[in-house]
Parts: sequence; C-alpha cells; structure tokens
Amino acid sequence: MTSTHPHPEQQVYPEHYEPPRSPLGQALFGPGLVRGLWMGALFFVLGTLLVLGLRWWWSWEPLWLTEVILAVAAMTMAPIGFLAGIGSFDYWLHYIVGRPTRPEDHSGHGARTWRDYFRVNTDHKVIGVQYLVTTFFFFTLAGLMAMFFRAELAQPGLQFVDSQTFNGLVSVHATLMIFLFIIPAFAGLANFAVPLMLGAPDMAFPRLNALSFWLLPIAGIMFVASFLAPGGAFGAGWTGYAPLAEGQPLGQTFFNMGVQWAGASSIMTALNFLVTIITMRAPGMTFWRMPLLVWANFTTSLLVVIATPFIAGSQFFVMFDRILHTDFFTPEGGGYALGYQHIFWFYSHPAVYIMMLPGFGIVSEVIAAMSRKPIFGYRLMALSLMGILVLGFSVWAHHMFVAGMADWLRVPMMITTLLIAVPTGIKIFSWVATLWRGRIHLNTPMLFALGFVTMFVIGGLSGIYLGAVPITIHASDTYFIVAHIHYVLFGGSVFTIFAGVYYWFPKMTGRMYNERLGKIHFWMTFVGFNATFFPMHYVGLRGMPRRVSDYKEAFGDLNFAITIASFLLGISFIVFVYNIVISWTRGAVADANPWRALTLEWQVSSPPPIFNFDEIPQVVAGPYEYGVPGARHAVMSPAKESQEVAEEVHA
Amino acid sequence: MRKGIVQLVAIGIVIGVALTLVAVLFKWLPESASEEFDRIQVIYWFVTIISIVIFSLVTAVVIFSVWKWRVPEDDDADGPPIHGHTGLEILWTAIPAVLVTAIGIFSAIVMARNGEAGVKPMEIQAIGQQFAWKFVYSDFDDLQSGELVIPIGQETRFTMSSVDVIHSFWVPNFGQKMDAVPGIETEILVTPDRMGDFAVVCTELCGLGHATMRARARVVSQEDFDAWIEENQT
Repeated sequence: MTSTHPHPEQQVYPEHYEPPRSPLGQALFGPGLVRGLWMGALFFVLGTLLVLGLRWWWSWEPLWLTEVILAVAAMTMAPIGFLAGIGSFDYWLHYIVGRPTRPEDHSGHGARTWRDYFRVNTDHKVIGVQYLVTTFFFFTLAGLMAMFFRAELAQPGLQFVDSQTFNGLVSVHATLMIFLFIIPAFAGLANFAVPLMLGAPDMAFPRLNALSFWLLPIAGIMFVASFLAPGGAFGAGWTGYAPLAEGQPLGQTFFNMGVQWAGASSIMTALNFLVTIITMRAPGMTFWRMPLLVWANFTTSLLVVIATPFIAGSQFFVMFDRILHTDFFTPEGGGYALGYQHIFWFYSHPAVYIMMLPGFGIVSEVIAAMSRKPIFGYRLMALSLMGILVLGFSVWAHHMFVAGMADWLRVPMMITTLLIAVPTGIKIFSWVATLWRGRIHLNTPMLFALGFVTMFVIGGLSGIYLGAVPITIHASDTYFIVAHIHYVLFGGSVFTIFAGVYYWFPKMTGRMYNERLGKIHFWMTFVGFNATFFPMHYVGLRGMPRRVSDYKEAFGDLNFAITIASFLLGISFIVFVYNIVISWTRGAVADANPWRALTLEWQVSSPPPIFNFDEIPQVVAGPYEYGVPGARHAVMSPAKESQEVAEEVHA
Repeated sequence: MRKGIVQLVAIGIVIGVALTLVAVLFKWLPESASEEFDRIQVIYWFVTIISIVIFSLVTAVVIFSVWKWRVPEDDDADGPPIHGHTGLEILWTAIPAVLVTAIGIFSAIVMARNGEAGVKPMEIQAIGQQFAWKFVYSDFDDLQSGELVIPIGQETRFTMSSVDVIHSFWVPNFGQKMDAVPGIETEILVTPDRMGDFAVVCTELCGLGHATMRARARVVSQEDFDAWIEENQT
C-alpha cells in the first residue's frame, strides 16, 4: 500500500541536473520569486501582444480593449508565467521535453531555513504552514474591510464611503473570507495533519500540492487588486448575481477570474487528498480506523471535486456575457437570469459544507483528546458526514425560495434542507455525549471547540427557521441571513480553525503557544462575536435588508452597538497574532505529544521529521481508545531521527 | 448521580426561561399587517419553541459537564471508555427527524394556504427598475403609481417583473417577499388586514442605489381607496 521512504541521508542520489550557474544567473534564472516576477511580466506582454495581434488581424475596433487585455494577459497569462517562474512546472516540463528527471529528487522538500517557506516546496508540512500564514494574511485584510464598512454602518446615511466603495468592500470581504480564508485554511490544517494521521510520508502528489498552494495568492491578489480597477472593486456581492454582475465596471472581471484560480487550487488539493486517503494509509489503517479529521477531509474533498466546476462555469458564463457578448443570463438575448443562480448555488451550497465538515473533523479530534474519552458513536459520526455529503447536493435551491423559481421546487428543497438537521444533530449530540463523564481539560483548543458546539447550534437553529419556506419568505436577504451565515461560518468554521491552529501549533512549530493569551483571545472573540452578530437577527427580522450602505433611522442605535462590538472582535485578533508571533519565536519548547493524544501525528517529534516516519507504523486499533487499558492506535518503533531532532531542540 | 441530574435539569431550565424571556419581551417581528404574515408568525413561534428546547438542552449538558468533570491541566488520567450507546443514537436521530418533518409539513400547509388565490384577487403589477418601484393597477385601466395603495381586506396578487437587474419586493409588515426578475414574471399574494403606512423595501442588491430603493405602501379603507383611484384616474 505504501512504500517506505529511504532515509534521506542514506539514499545516494545521482547528480542534480540543474546546469551550473553563477550566483546572479541562479537568482535570475533559477526557480524562485525573482524568476516568477519577470516571467509573469513577460507572459503579460506576450498575452497583450496575442490579443492585439488577433484583434489587428481581424481588424476589430477598438484595437485596445482593457477588459480583454485584463482577462487574457493579466489574469490568465501572467499567473501562468509567474507559476512557471517560481518553478511549479519545472519537473513536469523537464519530463515533457525529455530532459533527465529524478523522481526521488528531494531538493525542494522540507524547510531548513525560513527562506524555504517562500519557494515551491513539496513538503506537506511546509505547504500546510504556507497555507495557514497566507490565509491569515487575507483574513486580516478581509477583517479590516469588515470593520471599515461597519464604521460606515454605525450611523444611517453615508459618512465615509460612496455606494460603489461600500458594495465593493462588502463583496471583497465575503469573497476573501470564503475563498482565501475558510476554505484554504482548512486545506492548510488538513495538509499538515492528514498525511501524518494516515502514517504516510507525504501527500500522494507533492508537486501538485505545491502548485495548488501557489494558485492561492494569485486569486487573493486578484480580489484585492480589483480596488485599483477603474470603477472600483466588484460590487455585486460575493454571489455576483447576473444580470447585475454583467453591468458592473471592470472590477467584476477580477472576481470572475479570481474564482477560477481559487477553485483550481481547491480541486487540485481535493484530488490530492482523495488519492492520499485512498492509497496511502499505513498498514492496518482501515477506513473504520481513520481519525474523524481524515473522514471529514475525505467527504469534503468529494464535495469539492464534484461541486467546484459549477462555480467555475457560472463565472465563465458571466465573463463571456460581459466580454464576448453572449447571452447566457441576459433575457434580451434569450438568456435565463435564474440560470445563473441555479449553477452558482449548485456549488455554493455544497461549499457551505466544504467550509464546515473539516471543522467537524477538527472538533472531533480536540474534544476526544481533551475529554480523555473515545469519541461517542464513531461510526455514526463518520456516516453522518457521508449523509451531509449526499444531502448537501440536493438543497441548493433553498437559496432561491424567493427568487422566482418554479413553485414545485420549493417543497422538495425544503424537506431535504430540514433533513440535513438530522446528521448535523447527530454530530452535535455525539460531541456533547463525549464530554459526559470525561476528564475535561479546558485549554484554548477545547474552549474554541466548545464555543463552536454552542454557537454552531445557534447557526443550525436559525438554519431551521430559514429552511421553513414561509419564514424564509420574510427573512431572506435581510440581516437575519447575515447573522445566520456568521453564526455558521464564524461561530462554526472560524472557531474550529482557531481550535485547530492552537491544537496543532506545538506540532507545527515545536513550541507551545501562551495558554493565558489563548484564553484571553477566546473570551474576547466569544463575547465580541455574539455582541456583533446576535443583534443582527433582530434588525433583520424587524426589516433591515442586507447589503445596504444606508438604512432606516430606527435601526441606528443597534447598528451603532454592533459596530462597537465588531471593533472588540477585531481587537481580539491582535491578541491572537501577538500570541502566535511571540510563541513561534520564543515560546517554550513543546513536547512531542503535549495532549497525550493517540492519533499518529503526535507519535513523532514536534516538528515532525522531514519524511514524517522513520518506519511506517502498523495500525492496530481505532484512533480514540482513551481509557481503554493497554489500547494502542498503532505500533511503531521509537523514531530514531525524531529522537535526535527532539534532543537537539531540547539541548 | 441523581443530584447531578437535578442540577443539570435546573441549568437547562434557567437557560430555557432566560431565552423564553428574550423571545417574548422583545418584539422580534414587525407587527403583522397581512393574513399571510399572521400564518407565518405561527410557524415562527413553533420553530422558536423547538429551538429554545434544543439550545437549552445542548448548552446545559456542555456547561454541566465542564462544571462537574473539569480536571487540572496536570491530571493525566483518562475518562471511562464509553464508545457509544445504540439506543441513544437512535433516539437523537429519530427525534430531530420527527421534529423537522413536523416543521416541514406545517410549513407546506401554510405555504399552500398563502399561495392560494381566492375568487378574484386585485391584480397589481410591480415593476422594478434601478432604483424605483412602479405599480400598475391592471384592474383600473393600468393606472400607474409610484406609491402602493391597497384597500384593507382585499386579496391582492402582485405580478413582478423587472426592466434591468433582479430586485426584490418586500413589505416587512406583510411578511411577503418575491424577486422581480428580468425576463420572467413572478407573483405573490398579500391580503392586508391592518391599515397604516408601511415601506416597500428592495432586498436584492441591485446596484449603487439599492439602499435607497424604497416606496411607500398604504393600506386604506375601501372608500379611501376608491377616492384615490378616482383622483388618479384621469
């Protein structure tokens, strides 16, 4: 099933095939950010010439059309040039042109200095950290945008920004949070943890893994750069409904194309996870012995692979309508406006589970380890993930209950929507039952996990309100929806991301985070979060629509309070960043297994050896056998290399 | 353990009572001005009761567990190896399934009732365009108005359309909402049962002026309505 990786030092590799270069030549022509930048610029010029050449050949007027240049040269060609420049394709290109390649070339694997985090790296642990740092960077940006438009909303009327900027801020905030934070932050945590949990030396396709990470900053930069476009950032919401999106200024193209890069990144990662989980489990690691985080990423990856092409399609069609003047969604030309929503939500509803299931996995790990008890009803926990996966594809139109779609679609979609409460309820009750009679360690990851369980119940229950069509008819497109999605995506996903980051922080960095600061961070976040989003249920039901820069006087006081609370929430994040930075640089050295957890990632050193395991472990039982006398998840001889590393760190 | 159960139930009741007070003391919904919204509010309360029970149950167990079974950080014992309980698992699969089915059936009934037009509803076309509403009274020689005026008790069918992008017609006090989509016609029924001045709000992001796309809705007596028609029908 898995091949044992030879110890890197014992393996004698043939000569490295890079041609010898002077230091300057290496900097300019060797794979890296410098070559990435100039190749990106070069490809931009080539793309521009291609467009101009073709337009000249067909004598189309005008010769220069900014939107076409943007779509082709800036947002398709330049990123490809950049990726080629940093060396994402080197191995494959060498293989294609017949240059000698070395499948076991580990020169781009692992991190020895901080510089190794800024290049194409094939080590899943490095990629995991790259993902997390990148996503938290964009989380910060998107959070600042949120505080900016909350400042605008502190009072009725327009104070700081005009409507276009407001719409842009709201749209880019949501887009970054979804595509550049929640989805990839989970991918980052899973990238780090899943191969270790499986007892595998790495992901199945390390080079593909590296490529999928580097697609991400491209998407992020596109979304943010849209603010520089004439006419401002894309302002049709993250949902980008046609036909509104088709009449938007240039910024909309940044959304259309940015989603493609983020989506490609998701799909590649998901394929990688699927192959890794199916083929690279350690001997004895049957499906029913996999940790629930692995189960969660297995189901999430299935969702990603099946659903993501639909959002790609929806955005391509909008872009074609904009640039090529097709009529997919414009009724004047025979298009169907609701078609957009059906395609869009066929991805974007499953996307809700893409943003939730990995969090379920994280919480299962944390609650079991911190309660010192086996997870309650392990098999049903895994099966309920599959249940959500299947049902998740049959509910997309509940976003369209008032959209004017066929009436007969409402009842079936309502039933499937409400039924999702059943597998979700199973999970909630099982976590709570795991706590029962446990020995509960109330540390930061556990606080975030319990915060998640309670807040997610609120998000789930407001989902029941919205599942009932008559209530949705009143509540849809109001602040009630804003409250609901933030209870699901902040109280749900973001809390679990924090839980995961604290939980694996010692494993990733080899150092312990500051527990006191962690707890302060949790309580500030918990209070700030509730004070910000709970009142939104109220203003929404009372009559305040979402996505408005101006509103009725009557909602002024509450909105002012919400804005103040959102600033508290913003400040809580500074505590987190401070904690992470000081702990990473000067924190106490962490043990290999500070939580005494049984899953495999904790049985190797912190941080783990470059190829994870010196010897592939033999899995003999389930991953949560806490309290079972003499029970073990896996048998493995003490890792030699990990011991040396641990001694070195401790010395 | 019996004492523990009593404490657990007490915590649950305290949370439940607190939430009930929050639900009852604040007016979470705008005052209903339509028969449709009256029916919607019944479901709203039904779901609210279920939500309070479930939330109280979950948070009570979480708080109770942390209170009872929290150990100091240096404790290195394990809890009892309980792997599951088939009966419980069946129970918490079945009960939510029954509850959501009940909500579903209830909703479907209200939906059918709210979508059932009577003998002869008054027809109004609501036309959205960036950034204003236009109401066309088909029954009164296509009288056009920027203000929505309906007689009390008169079942009214709104037929929505849009000349540019998607808008959404919502009068919070009517509790009824429907998108106005370019290229197709959509419809919704409203039977106003209270007189007063209300707001028509656009709830689908429709561009720069979305926040300002409002119109006035007045529910008036039949006499006032007739007078208004008379006055505007020239």
